[in-house]
Amino acid sequence: MLKGQIQDGESTGPGTVVGVNVALSGTLKDQNDVSVYGMVDGEVVSEKTVTVGQSAQIKGPIRGKIITVAGVVRGSIDASEKLEVMETGKIFGSVVTKDFVVRSGAQITGKVTMGMDDDAAVETADSEPDPDNAEETLAEAQAEAKEESSLPLSDEVELKPDEE
Amino acid sequence: MYYYVLESPSSRAVRQTYQKLRDTLTNLGIAGEMVTASPARTPTELTQMGISKGYSTIVAVGADDHIDEVAIASLGKAVLGIVPVNASRLVTGLIGTSDIRGSAESLKKRRLTTHSVVVIEPDSAFFLDAHILPPKIAKVSLVIDNKVRVHSYFNTLRIDRGLNIFIESAHVSEPKKIFGLFKRASETLTSQSTFHAKQVRIVTEPALALIVGNAKVAQTPLELRLLPESLKLITKRGTVLE
Repeated sequence: MLKGQIQDGESTGPGTVVGVNVALSGTLKDQNDVSVYGMVDGEVVSEKTVTVGQSAQIKGPIRGKIITVAGVVRGSIDASEKLEVMETGKIFGSVVTKDFVVRSGAQITGKVTMGMDDDAAVETADSEPDPDNAEETLAEAQAEAKEESSLPLSDEVELKPDEE
Repeated sequence: MYYYVLESPSSRAVRQTYQKLRDTLTNLGIAGEMVTASPARTPTELTQMGISKGYSTIVAVGADDHIDEVAIASLGKAVLGIVPVNASRLVTGLIGTSDIRGSAESLKKRRLTTHSVVVIEPDSAFFLDAHILPPKIAKVSLVIDNKVRVHSYFNTLRIDRGLNIFIESAHVSEPKKIFGLFKRASETLTSQSTFHAKQVRIVTEPALALIVGNAKVAQTPLELRLLPESLKLITKRGTVLE
């Protein structure tokens, strides 16, 4: 009798948009993109992108894959792939991300941690330096570095202009 | 066998359309029992009668609010077919055809899709998009999944069958004087928001009607709950669903 049965794509949802004249409180969590143009008092979590518009004010932490900030964020930001702070963006809180772009005019007040893989972070945390073996460890590390790279060990860092 | 619930004809043209439908269904070999709604027999009552007679497929013939009423009455008890007559694009887009012949052929082919509906607590529901349209800008508060509270002003609020909530507002700001000399031109502030929920409480100020098609189905405050993939609908083969 039933020739074929399929399900429509309703479960995917259109993502969440918080409009300009909206005030929201609580944890805003979405598997899809989240865009905020109004006021949010609470956590914002997305498995994809989070866009904080110019008119937006967020008081709480933000987590997402790619996060763009053009408004005001008072809370920590954890962007697993990329964080971009636009000219009008203001962040008051710590930032953790892999890739970080800051436009001229943006304001950031807080600690920035970037460019570290999760595995590397765990490894670093596990291998706390032992003060007794500090000199030995340093010598080992320098020897390893010399082997891996032909560049001399120095404090010089070459700064390249941001390519956009 | 198919049980057709026809909307009460509003004009001679609609009566002619119904006659054309009868002929088409007979030619396709799927002419079942046909009943027409009236003030004495509502679409809900007729649908319930069809189900009690043992029909497994109920076909709603008419416009949006009629289709929605038949859909809700047949929910969980029968497969729904649709023949749109003066129906909106929402309906024709959903079934993948806008003409009598196309929808009749779809009924014969019986390609089934499942869809969610929204329950209005305690005992009502809707399948097609529902709207709240205040006469002037109004205030709305939502509590989504008992986790998030939303406060906003709105001109239109639309809720689809996936319990996605779309809030739109546009209001003109009054012109402001700068240093008492210059007037800053008034500007229109528009706001669009989208939320999705499994359950939501909606309170408006003032209390407003929830409308499906042209029919009022409930009034705020509302408690809405998603009933996922609960309605089986016959659609056109090859329809690209949204």
